[in-house]
Amino acid sequence: MSNPAQTRYYGVLALIVVITLLTPLFAASFGAANISFTDVISVFKSWFSNNSVPVPTQILGGIADANNTSPVSSLNQRIIFELRLPRILLAFVAGAGLSIAGSVLQTVTRNPLADPYLFGISSGASFGAVVVISLFSQTGMFAQLFDGALLISPVGQQPWWSWSMLSLPVGAFIGATLSVLLVVALSGIGRTSQVERMLLSGVATSFLFGALTSLLLYFSSPQATASVLFWSLGSFAKASWSQLWLPTVTVGASLLIMLAFKRQIMALQAGDESAHTLGVNVAKLRLSMLLLCSLITAMLVASCGGIGFVGLMIPHTVRLLFSGRQPMILTAVLGGLFMVWIDVIARCLLSNQELPVGIITAALGSVFFLFILRHRR
Amino acid sequence: MSESVLDVEHLFWQVDGKTILADIHFSLPKGQMLGLIGPNGAGKSSLLRCLYRYIVPSSGSIDLFGKGLTTYSAKALARTVAVVQQDTPHYFDLTTEQLVTMGLTPHKGLFDATTQHDRELINSALAKVGLTQHAKQPYEHLSGGEKQRALIARAIVQQPQILILDEPTNHLDIRYQIQILELVASLGISVIASIHDLNLASAMCDKLLLLDQGKLIAKGHPSAVLSERQISDVFGVCCEVNAHPQHGKPLISYFYGYQTANRASHQDE
Repeated sequence: MSNPAQTRYYGVLALIVVITLLTPLFAASFGAANISFTDVISVFKSWFSNNSVPVPTQILGGIADANNTSPVSSLNQRIIFELRLPRILLAFVAGAGLSIAGSVLQTVTRNPLADPYLFGISSGASFGAVVVISLFSQTGMFAQLFDGALLISPVGQQPWWSWSMLSLPVGAFIGATLSVLLVVALSGIGRTSQVERMLLSGVATSFLFGALTSLLLYFSSPQATASVLFWSLGSFAKASWSQLWLPTVTVGASLLIMLAFKRQIMALQAGDESAHTLGVNVAKLRLSMLLLCSLITAMLVASCGGIGFVGLMIPHTVRLLFSGRQPMILTAVLGGLFMVWIDVIARCLLSNQELPVGIITAALGSVFFLFILRHRR
Repeated sequence: MSESVLDVEHLFWQVDGKTILADIHFSLPKGQMLGLIGPNGAGKSSLLRCLYRYIVPSSGSIDLFGKGLTTYSAKALARTVAVVQQDTPHYFDLTTEQLVTMGLTPHKGLFDATTQHDRELINSALAKVGLTQHAKQPYEHLSGGEKQRALIARAIVQQPQILILDEPTNHLDIRYQIQILELVASLGISVIASIHDLNLASAMCDKLLLLDQGKLIAKGHPSAVLSERQISDVFGVCCEVNAHPQHGKPLISYFYGYQTANRASHQDE
């Protein structure tokens, strides 16, 4: 079965694989410090010749060992390995996570405009995170958490594991789950017209949590307000190896679960009653997928702030490019690549200053949203 | 009399104190086609929904192959009973082939891939309903009759022992009405279908079930159910029933002119 469509599909697939392999190299050569693409290549070359096991701890050790190289290249090496690579990876994980969350939300609710951001999950997660920040940062007990969460802390001093690391994601997850439950409750457990009500409930929930967050910020110190504001616009600036594994594991595990239930998720597209006749426990599947999406969103909001519309843009683009297929992994990869390059733009658009990623995705996304609306009838 | 695959006894369903189904009882012999007839709102769809467990009846028992319906897991039930509904919601991105592939869902565990054997099953189902050349087309672009046939192909892939069809001939022209019911009959599995057209039901079904306001009015061979008296009682129309020239089952000719008759009787008063 080698028809033109099939050939085209594999062609695009091969292209995406090549881009995915090259993206870290190119993306690492953009940023405040002037490091050219050839510098990146030479840094990677020297690293590969010094290290055979690519484990992050080994990277740090390898850099200490590699002091015999020139100071400039050693500095470049530190910038690339300790600042840019974790940042690129976090951007990739965030883009992938938001895309699959959006894709699954759209299928499970049969609403092509569903998105973690539009469904109020992001604002719920933001609210939860802001509650954690403003309540605990002022007591002083969690002051270091506050620093660790919001400021670019000195590299290499963060522990791999501490309980305080979890408080922000947990706060975000509680907020996200609250918003999901609110949306489900508002849209009714009844089986009819749930989908239309769901979007409206999502918008209402989004406003509600947005208002609550604003209220909290109004009573916070100006300093906290400024950093929360910057964080809530979305940024990968605080990426570090030690904080990378939690979102990566979350997104990876979620993707695995979604792949396992792929047939059931697809069957939901045929309507609740049809899915029921195909042996799917509709209510249970929908609720667990909503909770899974809120887990992904919460984890990403906690680690890089509110980044909207990625979950809307990527699944729709994938559907346009590969109509008639449901490539979950491809959606994740494309979302990741998109995010990495958006982050590169955020780093380079203004000299000596970084633009929050959320602003760029929101600007692109709102245009895209109007585009979808126009193309449906 | 062959063994029965489905036995329904004393089935009641009430919602908010209103009785939708009252004391329904019937059984479906293996390999037969059972037609469900009755006016709008008689409870045909509700009865079918009870049979595929989308509705939980208030009381009564439904036995599938001698076992209670509630003892089946969701997957096991979907492997035994396939359903073709009358309205399908809007699918935003599915090809006909993908829709048919959905029939595999109850047969697959987590991470199970679609095998070569599955592909052959899907292709043969598509061929059976005559949609092979439409396999890669979006389901949304099919005509009404083709959509219905695609849903039947999905049910074939589901490999059920019982097929439930809720008004499969709605919105179809007469050619497709006959074609779809003959296709379903040719599958050799037990079928329950709700059908509006009494002549079609008479011609295609082995047995009929006549419902009115949730109550079972008559059941049995078409010639026993479709009498002039019963049609006039339940549907409120006058007709004449003869034997069909080809198959000998009842052929109904309706009489017309109810508006003028009403007007005449009002003027008399």
